[in-house]
Amino acid sequence: MTKKKLLLNIFGPILSVVVLLGLWQAIVVWGNVAPYIAPKPWDAIRAVTSNWSTLAPLTWWTIKETIYGYLVGAFLGAFLGVVLNKIPLMQRVLYPLLILTQAIPIIALAPPLVMILGFGVMPKVVIVAWIVFFPVTVSVLDGLNHVDKDLMTLAKVFGANSMRRFVVLEMPAAITQLFSGLKIGATYAVTGAIIGELAASSGSSLALYQRSASGSLDAAGVYGTTLLMTAIGIIWFLLVVGAEYLATPWQRRSTARQWRRGAKPVLTNN
Amino acid sequence: MSSSSILELRGISKTFASTTALSPLDLDIERGSFVSIVGPSGCGKSTLFNILSGLIQPDNGSISLEDQNVIGATGHVGYMLQKDLLVPWRTVLGNITLGARLKGKVGPEDKEQAMGFAQKYGLGEFLHHYPSALSGGMRQRVALMRTLATNHQLLLLDEPFGALDAQTRFEMQQWLLQVWRDTQRTVLFITHDVDEAVFLSDRVLVMSPRPGRVVDDLRVDLPRPRTLDTLVSPAFTDLKSRVLHQLHRERGA
Ligand SMILES: Nc1ncnc2c1ncn2[C@@H]1O[C@H](COP(=O)(O)OP(=O)(O)OP(=O)(O)O)[C@@H](O)[C@H]1O
Ligand SMILES: [Mg+2]
Repeated sequence: MTKKKLLLNIFGPILSVVVLLGLWQAIVVWGNVAPYIAPKPWDAIRAVTSNWSTLAPLTWWTIKETIYGYLVGAFLGAFLGVVLNKIPLMQRVLYPLLILTQAIPIIALAPPLVMILGFGVMPKVVIVAWIVFFPVTVSVLDGLNHVDKDLMTLAKVFGANSMRRFVVLEMPAAITQLFSGLKIGATYAVTGAIIGELAASSGSSLALYQRSASGSLDAAGVYGTTLLMTAIGIIWFLLVVGAEYLATPWQRRSTARQWRRGAKPVLTNN
Repeated sequence: MSSSSILELRGISKTFASTTALSPLDLDIERGSFVSIVGPSGCGKSTLFNILSGLIQPDNGSISLEDQNVIGATGHVGYMLQKDLLVPWRTVLGNITLGARLKGKVGPEDKEQAMGFAQKYGLGEFLHHYPSALSGGMRQRVALMRTLATNHQLLLLDEPFGALDAQTRFEMQQWLLQVWRDTQRTVLFITHDVDEAVFLSDRVLVMSPRPGRVVDDLRVDLPRPRTLDTLVSPAFTDLKSRVLHQLHRERGA
């Protein structure tokens, strides 16, 4: 990647966030919006920073729920994708079931889960995993189904058994697809955690913090919490994008990075 | 059985559902020779390769490769298609050693061999490039290196240059002859291009339309190394016209 492109990649998003906040500020100030309807962006941010000692542990919980749930969902999703691809019978047995899991409105799923699993981290983790696994399964299945048939045939001619074919060819071939599922999952993960927090009406969480701010007409607190939740989601998404970046160097480089000395490209001298 | 044969086919036939792809076929291939197979589309050339490579079982007949019965067994031949089938996530080096990786581990000697091939045959500067950075001709070279690196004596090449432009193709043909001469492998080469068949080979087999039979078996005694001059020599033109006539007679033209 050229330097110019890199700068664009970093400053482009920052610029759009700044513009968005500016727009918000302009509407509130020039539109004479009442402070109990919408605060100025800076006030919303300050509502977070000045209450940070209260918000920090709550934020930490939400992050944990998101990460645990996401990891469970991602692994489960990838595993199911492989199972569906390898055992054709499973496509008929499992697929309808998978559709069913996604047909249940997630908001309606949260209360029974809280009844079953209590007010701790568990129901939130389950909800996040529930949301995340599906796009991962679909994308992994799709990736595995589209591995070049001729390549698999060639591997057979080379005498590779099915395990080697899977590890050496099918898994890496599906990785691009895998990441598209992981990215979709990443955008939904925080939403899942917050839905779980809302359903558990006792205990302390970001969602309940926001609800009580709303009850006391503290607009800055409400908007600030939304910003905070959004930030968690964006940071998680960016981490997944970063992982993809590291895992798929061939999509952006023409040569492999050389880690060891002595493995440098050798020049022919003829 | 002649002692110099590496491959002997006796009565090999294959029928798919209702189409007879190969009618009983006998064939002896001399060790170290370069043999081309030409024939109309659908006459069973690729089917023959699939049988030789162990991907499919013939209905009848026997195959002996280096005095071993290899019917239905894979892992005995090098195989290469028109599609280069390089994996985008591995470098040139990783692609050349893919055969070793598919069977287990890539050892230092596999790497050394791959680097040796790459350097000798014009890919030395590209060892650590990903395939996306290579031209079509370059990719086919890597694919052939990968085939060589499996260290099988018999190489089956199914229209390997079919997708290349004329100029690249000619370069690749000369390059292939150099590789073949150096490595002393036995090559079976399918092509639709009669010029290519005559230019490369010691022997050209002409097959009939389906069900495929070998209807002509020509020795090509043109001197090697073959060059541009070979292509315009009267002897070349004679051989080429004989192959073309065979092909077209068989097509009923
Ligand atoms: N797996 C298969 N199942 C059914 N029919 C097949 C199968 N493989 C090949 N055939 C048929 O066998 C015949 C010979 O096919 P083959 O691919 O060997 O031809 P070919 O000589 O390689 O043709 P081309 O020059 O076009 O590559 C064709 O009629 C083809 O449709
Ligand atoms: Mg064919």
